[in-house]
Amino acid sequence: MVQYAPFISLAVFGLAVTPVGMLGNGRMKGGLAAPVALFGLLASLASTVWLATRAVPSGPFGPSPPVLVMDSFTYFFTGILLTVSIFVTVASFHFMKNDVNVAPYYGLLILSTLGMIVLAASLDLILLYVGWELMSIPTYALTAIRKHDPNSNEAAMKFFVLSALSSALIVYAISLLFGISGSTNLVTISSALGGVTSDTRSYGILAVVMFVVGFGVKMAVVPFHMWIPDAFEGAPTTVAALLAAGAKMASFAAAFRVFIIGIGLFNIDWYSTFAIVAVVTMTFGNVAALMQKSFTRLLAYSSIAQAGYILIALATPTTASGNPVGIAGGLFHVLNYSILKTASFIAAAAVVTRLAVTNLDSFNGLARRMPQTSFNIAVLFLALAGVPPLNGFFSKALLFTGAIYSQFSWGSYLAIAGLLNSGFSMGYYGWIIKRMYFDEATDSSRVAEPRAYMSVLWAATLLTFVIGIYPDPWIRMSQDAAAALMSARPLPAT
Amino acid sequence: MLGLLTLTIFLPALMAAPVYLVGKRNARLGAVLGIGTTAAVFLLSLSILAVYPMGSSGFQLRESASWASSFGLEYKVAIDGISLPLLLIATILSLLAAAGSWDLIKTREPEYYALFLIFETGIIGVFTSLNLILFYVFWEVVLIPMFFFIGIWGGPRKKYASMKFLIFTYVGSTIMLFGFLALYAWTGAQGSPSFDYETLVQRVPSLIMPFQLVAAITTFIGFAVKLPIVPFHTWLPDAHVEAPAPVSVLLAGLLLKMGGYGMIRYNLFLFPDAAEILWPYFAVIGLVTMIYGASVAIVARDLKRMIALTSINHMGYVLLGTFARNSAGIQGAVFQMFNHALAIGILFLMSGYIQKHAGTRNIDELNGLRGKMPTTATLLVLGSMAAMAVPGLANFISEYQVIQGALSANYLFAVAILAPALTVGYFLWMLRRVVLSPPAGPKDELPLRSLLVLAAFLAPLFVFGAYPGPLLNSIIKPAVDSVLPSIVSPGGP
Repeated sequence: MVQYAPFISLAVFGLAVTPVGMLGNGRMKGGLAAPVALFGLLASLASTVWLATRAVPSGPFGPSPPVLVMDSFTYFFTGILLTVSIFVTVASFHFMKNDVNVAPYYGLLILSTLGMIVLAASLDLILLYVGWELMSIPTYALTAIRKHDPNSNEAAMKFFVLSALSSALIVYAISLLFGISGSTNLVTISSALGGVTSDTRSYGILAVVMFVVGFGVKMAVVPFHMWIPDAFEGAPTTVAALLAAGAKMASFAAAFRVFIIGIGLFNIDWYSTFAIVAVVTMTFGNVAALMQKSFTRLLAYSSIAQAGYILIALATPTTASGNPVGIAGGLFHVLNYSILKTASFIAAAAVVTRLAVTNLDSFNGLARRMPQTSFNIAVLFLALAGVPPLNGFFSKALLFTGAIYSQFSWGSYLAIAGLLNSGFSMGYYGWIIKRMYFDEATDSSRVAEPRAYMSVLWAATLLTFVIGIYPDPWIRMSQDAAAALMSARPLPAT
Repeated sequence: MLGLLTLTIFLPALMAAPVYLVGKRNARLGAVLGIGTTAAVFLLSLSILAVYPMGSSGFQLRESASWASSFGLEYKVAIDGISLPLLLIATILSLLAAAGSWDLIKTREPEYYALFLIFETGIIGVFTSLNLILFYVFWEVVLIPMFFFIGIWGGPRKKYASMKFLIFTYVGSTIMLFGFLALYAWTGAQGSPSFDYETLVQRVPSLIMPFQLVAAITTFIGFAVKLPIVPFHTWLPDAHVEAPAPVSVLLAGLLLKMGGYGMIRYNLFLFPDAAEILWPYFAVIGLVTMIYGASVAIVARDLKRMIALTSINHMGYVLLGTFARNSAGIQGAVFQMFNHALAIGILFLMSGYIQKHAGTRNIDELNGLRGKMPTTATLLVLGSMAAMAVPGLANFISEYQVIQGALSANYLFAVAILAPALTVGYFLWMLRRVVLSPPAGPKDELPLRSLLVLAAFLAPLFVFGAYPGPLLNSIIKPAVDSVLPSIVSPGGP
């Protein structure tokens, strides 16, 4: 049982936060929810770190074949997703301070996080779907939590409709795969698909397409990205951070599991499809980001572009000799992206709370008004653009190396596309820095910067530098996670 | 083992935070601390010169530490006869530019000196690193402070110039990065991936030719944007015109040298077989850059713009000399980088002082400098003589070597002689308008400290112009001659 501690603590605290938060009255009402939620997340993170650093208890636990697997890949994603959730919770201390729904907010936040880590850990499609819905349903409510704000409602509606469609497609894909292979376990499916016959092959392809679309909606892959800018702009900004970093990365975890383990041996060429989708996604995201007038929309498009980079890992997962360099690069980028993007949205939340606007003109001369926020945004953006010695550079370098290193001759073109995209993305990342530091503000009065946001931003900036200056342990962690993912694959039938 | 070289590289960056914090309380004290740090780094570089074994070939003073072996990253620095002159010029120019900033930078000084020191770490790191990714990290560390220098302390069109600079050089860098990552992946496909420069020198010849060509061309593009070559040069006049004068000194004196150094260290030494095929194209690009830079400088009205375009002209020599692929040419290229840094340094800093005192940089309005600022005018004449490569100054020797090297590669490169002729032409015309015209105002000389800073740029040029022996024969020549056989005989070392 102890190996499931991260899940258990989230489940217990997720269910307890809301009633506990309802306790008290008057000014104290809801005051307990935030600290209790934070404690639950920290307990879960601590147990994850503890489990990941000690020898994993051996022996079978749970049913066979396993539905949940606690390997380095699971710990890797669990650590990332809990960190995202902790950042969001700390920032919400200030963001949700005077909201009436503060108690349900934290409950939903934790339950959604639980869904995410279940998604990352599941080796069975039914459990994967349960995790998917557990992650998604609370986020609909979270997006709409400001029920008197029409933007929030509109965002929630758009998000819900598309997200429900993606869930439906995933269920359909699961049922097709069950029809072909007679199992919902990814490992069993994978070995069964090795011997697929020509008449069931087309159903298999259909299932792959449905998975791509279903996950693609949440992963913000072009052309399934339409809801992203509207939802991220309309949702409460801290919830946007959770969607952009948490839900999106959890979807990537599911995609890695399904595509690398489940249908990795299925004999169709989905690699080049992912390569094309990756190039289109990153290019579209970057070009669209250049044209934005609102900071949150710019972040949304930049997150689409970053999803394009991570997709490279699915297009070129391994080298010719089977070394998962591409996956390791992708996972390392997931780690860095999650930190950078959560913190960027929380910086946006700080600006929104203090200045009440997010259009880019309000960023003119921000360095004088909010110096801490501006400095942190500058560092985070340089890292997102891939400037060394910050963390984003090393993960992109590993990712693009994986593309060149792969067995495909088009890998080099993919890397060139990624590098040029990183180069031109400086057009908007640099543009924001230019606005903050070089332009003059119309009103240059100093604005107070709430401590809740600043603590998250400084923590993220510190991590950005620490990972960047000494990337070795983090790269090893990504490589271990990639190796764990690969080792879950059944041996190819010869 | 870490030691002297590592200290020289990281001392400036370590001092950046103290300089900033002290500067926040007392701006002038922070400036003193910043300038003092560059002076200390200069002394450290002199001590490197003192311990450097003269006449040696190959890398000396090696220092290394493990960094991220999981991805082939190793902290590994060393110097040879090609990087030593550039290391020296980096510390000299940083000291002089910092000293020049004392009078020219009066706003947001804490940030300025902190960024200045980070820049210095980057530039020294570029000239000393022996791991491709370490090199790239330092390469980009140079970029960001420069972006802020132009954007915050620049002239009227600073925002445009800074963005243009950032995007041009950053996109160039990412293309260069492709070459580095590809080398790692391709050597990995052969057995063991590597970012180590010395390992790659051994292993690149065993890669198939298309791979060598791709790596050579992609890295060349990165270096070419920095150098800059025509047609990637358009960021340079804008950046220079808008940058404050001490920053222009760093930009022209040091940042451009990164491109020249990269071409010698990577395009020539790391990809000799590709250079065997590509050298005529690169040399011709160098030639075109020389003549183009000189031609457009003739029509420049702004003194600073003219000087900026001069440096395009002068960096063309570096490209031509490098890809002449013979001892004279490469030696000339390295020596030219050293000399150009000093010559362009004095001219840029002087343009800043002149603008501050005369209120304009327009060549047509700047008349009678001889009467108004007699000592400055004398120094301007001497600085121009250095840029014109008048015999007696070190610039003459390096430009002579480059043209000699180019001629022995192919006699058609005799066209190169047009470039110095044009350079002399526009400098003399500028001097006639600025110095020899009748004065239009009272005497207003620069303070002694500024004159001393300016004179300090010239001193090495006169010394090495009269006696280049130690630098050329004991440092540059052995390093070049030891690598040369493996370059001109294709097929591997």
